[in-house]
Amino acid sequence: MAPVGLADLAQARRRFARWNLGFDRYIGYLLPLLFIVAIVPILDMVYWLGAEALPTMTWATLTTGGPTQPLGLFPAIAGTVWIMVIALALAVTLGLFGGIATAEFLSERSAAWVRMTANTLAGMPAIIIGMMGFVVFVLYFGWGLVLIAGAVTTAFFMTPYVFRAADLAFSSVPRTIREAALGAGARPIDYILRVARPIVTPQILNGIFLALGLGIGETATVIVTVQPSALAPTGPFSYASYLTYVIYAEYTSPLPADVTLAFQAAFLLLMIVIVINIIVRIVAWRYQTRLAGLFV
Amino acid sequence: MSEPIDPRPATDAETPSSPSPSPPAGRWSGGGGGGSALLHILELLPALVPLAIIVIVLVAMVGTTRGVPFSVLDFLGSSWLVQPPGVAGSSYGVSTFIVGSLVTSLPALLLAMLIALGVAIASVVYLPRIATRFLDPFVDLLAGIPSIVFGLWAFIILRPYFQQSLTPWMAANLGFLPGFAGPVSPTGLGIPITVFILTLMILPISTLLIRDTLRAVPRELWESGLALGATRWEVTRRVSLRYGSRGISSAALLGFSRAIGEAVAVSFLIGGATNFPTNVYSTTNTLSALIIENLDSSFVNPQEFAALAEVGILLTAITLTVNIIARRFVMQLGVHETVV
Repeated sequence: MAPVGLADLAQARRRFARWNLGFDRYIGYLLPLLFIVAIVPILDMVYWLGAEALPTMTWATLTTGGPTQPLGLFPAIAGTVWIMVIALALAVTLGLFGGIATAEFLSERSAAWVRMTANTLAGMPAIIIGMMGFVVFVLYFGWGLVLIAGAVTTAFFMTPYVFRAADLAFSSVPRTIREAALGAGARPIDYILRVARPIVTPQILNGIFLALGLGIGETATVIVTVQPSALAPTGPFSYASYLTYVIYAEYTSPLPADVTLAFQAAFLLLMIVIVINIIVRIVAWRYQTRLAGLFV
Repeated sequence: MSEPIDPRPATDAETPSSPSPSPPAGRWSGGGGGGSALLHILELLPALVPLAIIVIVLVAMVGTTRGVPFSVLDFLGSSWLVQPPGVAGSSYGVSTFIVGSLVTSLPALLLAMLIALGVAIASVVYLPRIATRFLDPFVDLLAGIPSIVFGLWAFIILRPYFQQSLTPWMAANLGFLPGFAGPVSPTGLGIPITVFILTLMILPISTLLIRDTLRAVPRELWESGLALGATRWEVTRRVSLRYGSRGISSAALLGFSRAIGEAVAVSFLIGGATNFPTNVYSTTNTLSALIIENLDSSFVNPQEFAALAEVGILLTAITLTVNIIARRFVMQLGVHETVV
């Protein structure tokens, strides 16, 4: 091998340094392009769903529907509202109480374990929770394929998110405030309802909105527990249709009008989710709360 | 003149990477006395709600399989054939579906992690703050879109493209790779489109986790790297990725469990066949799609119902294991525990 002189080494180093800087600069232009992979699908979805759904969507589409007017979404919207109201009430109750108990009353070691269970529950596939709902509520409790079975199942799915939000919110209250309340002689209930409430409300509200968004769009928990009906629900123990069912049932229909109905339901869902997302962001920005713990 | 002390922490919605807040000293119950034992128990009980739900799930599924004979060999067989009750000849082998789940989730995971790493590095290292504030919410929005909307969009809008352009192109030009030649699915459904949608579903969560992991790298490390003359890429590659490797691994594991558990979108796109995948384009089925397709109708057939419960137990076991391993990693790293 030819002896490598100092000049060659220096030249090689200079060449590498130039390449290095160039690589850094160009990868700085290249990597941001990957954002396209994430952004284009959303825009495409909004565009296509809108293009298919909006031309034929009228006020009547949203307010009518039933066996005689199959192209209306009202029964589905009513069913979704019924399910979400019950599910939200249950999930918020369970999640709030659980989260506050974890943040306030448990030792740090136990709290770590409980947080692990909450995260584990959040990671369970929705279809598994749906299967549980089918076995427990539809079969074992004997309710049958009714709306409340789907609502409670969805509530179980939503609970860990509210739980986590409440836990996070109460854990983030600064020590000084907490100890000041303790020192002033506050009971736990006074502390929670009067001292901590203004501080934790934005983050808990965000968690609730997030859970709502997840619950509205969730199909697997309701499709195995609720029998669809062509009419709007009359009570918690009736059969019901819901927006995600409309999509599930009609997407393979040979009739274009039915497929359009599926698109309209999907468009509604997409708009609701986007609006919820925007609200969550605005609340987080306005009240400077953390978003990271909620999304995952 | 001293500044007034503002007790509110200066949290910023964009940088949630500060260390975990220390637990408030003096928990209420540690104060000693005051209140009956019953009240103390009532205070602590709600915290057990998630555990209770998990227990109910497990009991429900195990209870359904009791009384039905179970043979591991049959279960791991490869034919799933359901005869009406009373007719012999049913077999409930799920190995096809295990393969189906893996062959859709693993490529999606790989693609999603690559893209997520790129997007996260771009966001944390290269892009100016203004661009990040504008673009990051888009990626996070992808996380909230219902899976059925993904399924519908892919089925109606993307499928023709896969059917007429992409898969024939792949078969023609990439046929030299093992498994890439061979008959293309005539409907456009099957593994490729499923992998595409699963990638889109894993992407936002992974991006969020990796982004927060990278932001948790201490400034001193980052700046000392730059001070030594390294480029941003060099510091990222050698310092940040190594520092955040546990967080990135846990992001991958969590994405994997999300992909395996996805039932609705996959059931739209995978074709629902019970045959073993023969090449990259074939239609097959996955564990979770199998459950959601057959659960309601299987109620009349106790054997099939129990078999589906067994599939559910398998799926739960996989998801729980992956989740617990993932969170073990994160807790060791000490990233703000609530990020995950």
